[in-house]
Amino acid sequence: MKIMWKQLMAASLLAVVNNSWADNQALTVEDCHLGEIRSKVKCGTLQVPENYANNSGDKISVNFAVLPAIDNSEYKAPLMFLAGGPGQAAVELATSLNRVFREIRKTRDIILVDQRGTGQSSALECDLEDEEDVYRVLPEDLNIEDVKSCVSQFKGDVSQFNTENAIRDFDAIRVALGHEKINIYGGSYGTRAGLVYLRMFPESLESAVLDSVGPIEVPIGMFGQSGARSFNLLLDNCKNSESCHKVFPNLAEEFQAVKARLAKEPITLDIQHPRLGTPTQFVLDDTKFTGNLRFQLYGVEGRSMVPLVIHQAYLGNYQPLIGLIARTEGEQLVYTGLLFNIVCNEDIPKVSAKMREIDAANDFDGAASHLAWELICPLFPQYRPSEDFYQPVTASVPTLILSGDLDPVTPPSNGDFPAKTLSNSKHIIVKNASHTVAMSTCASNIIGEFLTSKDPKSLDESCLEDVPEETFMTSVNGVE
Amino acid sequence: MNSNIGQFKALLIKEYKEAFRDKRALMVALMMAFMAPIMIMVMSKVVIEKAVDKPPVYIKFTGAEYAPKLMAHLKKENLLDFADIPEKDKAIWDERNIVINIPESYSQDMADGKTIKVHLQADFNDKAVSPPVRRINNAIRDFSLSIGYKRLLLRGVDIRLLNPVKLVEQDTSMPDATFIMISMMMGLYMIMAAFMSGLSVAIDSSAGERERNVLEMLLCQPVSTLKIVLAKLCGASTIAVIGVALVLVLSSISVGFVDLTKIGATFSLGFTKGLTLFLLLLPICFFASACQLFLAFQAKSFKEAQSTVSMVIAIPAFVPFVLMMMDDRPQWLDWVPIAGQSLIMEDVFKGVEVNWLAILATSGVTIAITAGLVAILTQKLKSEKVVMALS
Repeated sequence: MKIMWKQLMAASLLAVVNNSWADNQALTVEDCHLGEIRSKVKCGTLQVPENYANNSGDKISVNFAVLPAIDNSEYKAPLMFLAGGPGQAAVELATSLNRVFREIRKTRDIILVDQRGTGQSSALECDLEDEEDVYRVLPEDLNIEDVKSCVSQFKGDVSQFNTENAIRDFDAIRVALGHEKINIYGGSYGTRAGLVYLRMFPESLESAVLDSVGPIEVPIGMFGQSGARSFNLLLDNCKNSESCHKVFPNLAEEFQAVKARLAKEPITLDIQHPRLGTPTQFVLDDTKFTGNLRFQLYGVEGRSMVPLVIHQAYLGNYQPLIGLIARTEGEQLVYTGLLFNIVCNEDIPKVSAKMREIDAANDFDGAASHLAWELICPLFPQYRPSEDFYQPVTASVPTLILSGDLDPVTPPSNGDFPAKTLSNSKHIIVKNASHTVAMSTCASNIIGEFLTSKDPKSLDESCLEDVPEETFMTSVNGVE
Repeated sequence: MNSNIGQFKALLIKEYKEAFRDKRALMVALMMAFMAPIMIMVMSKVVIEKAVDKPPVYIKFTGAEYAPKLMAHLKKENLLDFADIPEKDKAIWDERNIVINIPESYSQDMADGKTIKVHLQADFNDKAVSPPVRRINNAIRDFSLSIGYKRLLLRGVDIRLLNPVKLVEQDTSMPDATFIMISMMMGLYMIMAAFMSGLSVAIDSSAGERERNVLEMLLCQPVSTLKIVLAKLCGASTIAVIGVALVLVLSSISVGFVDLTKIGATFSLGFTKGLTLFLLLLPICFFASACQLFLAFQAKSFKEAQSTVSMVIAIPAFVPFVLMMMDDRPQWLDWVPIAGQSLIMEDVFKGVEVNWLAILATSGVTIAITAGLVAILTQKLKSEKVVMALS
């Protein structure tokens, strides 16, 4: 009893201190160098409550960076980037975002926030015993005990690492940096975050850009149909391209043949480790094969090599596939702890058996994209957002919606949901682009125009017509 | 005391009347100030264009049909085929005559993985040719590398192996550091304006008045020589101050018309920055006029005064340049007039916290030297030798 009293005292004391010092003590900002950006930028942290319903409880530190406007003689509302995943750390993407948004940065600050659970914001991480060897491991080899022990290492109340609290963090940073309003750009899962932001704090937003939409109405995680659609577009485009069709006339059949062969029996090859140069083994089954191909479908550069990779695999040469896997080997693309925490609790519970069945009925990778959720979600602590969370988002904030027609995870049909419910919005579908259109096309300039005009319906979209049709590599030496 | 001020006022009014009487001469004197913003704008535009813009380059290709992908890549870099040239540019590019030869074996060698030799012919001594040649080099290297990377990737090699060491540059200058060229030019122009604007007035009111025999009459009046010198100094310095203010205002307006963000720079002269610069240059205006008066009085004739004083103008133009070339600057430079101010101006433009002590110090030294010159001049004007230009 005595001890409890003491704790109560301490808690109430902390609360008072926090209230009176909140503005001064919670925010730190300093000059820093970030990624490969040449000039100095600003890095900062903001202390926020772990649980917003309990302001006096534990605090977590949210990490952010500001790429200051090059010309700040005239104030313009900044652009906040909402990262994808879920589980990408925005600050870690600074180098490429600085390039993509260079036109916008000329006159606006770019704000990058590590969503809670990623990067330097209390990342949901754990020490795994040995580094995973992507060449040797099969997706099914996942060790349940490893995941369990990893989950047990998470610090804090994991149920608070949800989308809505992340948005509260973002808006708290807006306030702390002294901006009355900001613009947001969300890519991939960032669009889901953006939609929740539009619902929770519409008055904080001057405009929003949703690029490759994951709408509230469509649960994240069912990628069978969308992957197959993207892959079939690739097959069509190859067939319609004279040079591709000439070299790979039976691409669809060859793909099915390789898949069937690997499904019957995984292959094991002795190879040189592509990076270390030491002997290792390469093990491949159908799920790993399609999983890696799916990953290439995200961008036109990866896509350009897919026909060649399939054809070579059909001929028994897996080196091209190994080279593709090597491109991202050992790199942490997302903070998987947060990825599963959010998807397993906010999306997968909304997936019915019927939806699963429909999604699995495709000729690309069947139900392979469900595997991770089925294995890992039961191991994660549970929380459930309220039913309100799943209502369509309505807002009158000017919103630009972008979709790439070739996208394997967020097909253009996803973008139609917010286009319908957001009153002042326009949905642009870019024919020859894949996932996150602004990262690879001139759409970033259209966004710059939109941030100034705030009128999604009268933008100059002409440059998108010049995005070239996808082309394919037809030989391992690159002919022509 | 009152009569003292009254006398000085009368003398000053006389100097102003003389200075402002000839409007055209005055305008010519302030020419420097009016030219500065135009020069800054034009030069910045040229520099930016060279740094960022990729103007079209027209190349005479042979064998273009063998390498459609290479041609598409070059086109993306605005390196175009001479066949597509607009009529008005034809003569220039025909003369520059940049030729690229693509061998017939291009596609076969590509398929065989052999190195393809593409030949670039041009007059490498021609200055106009070197930027296009550099761009062609870069474009071909990028194209070649991207294929090379893919070749290795498709053979199962981790292509990150090709970059064992990567140098990441971290610039420690302030984030809002300004475009160095504009700062440099503006600093130079302001110091020049301080020296040039008051020049004609200073010569006219000294050597000129002597030749017109006005000086003699002035010195015969029952006023102290010091007052006469001070009045002349104020007259000339006022014009110099106007010149500096004009450069400051006009160039900060004109810089707004240059898109510096293209090269990742910005230039904004806020009110405080502008005021700091103005305060910093105020002593220089007086110093400049004092120097000019001193030298002009020293001269035997109006003509001699003109040539001596004009030569002295080279000093303010020269000092900032010398400072820029110097890597290790000795400490005492901070105190010397012009040099001290140049160094502080650099800091102001860079957005670095201004060292007010340094401003005070260099201003103090400048004012002290000015006062010294005034004192010597006053002494000298008491001697007929100087007044009559006899010595």
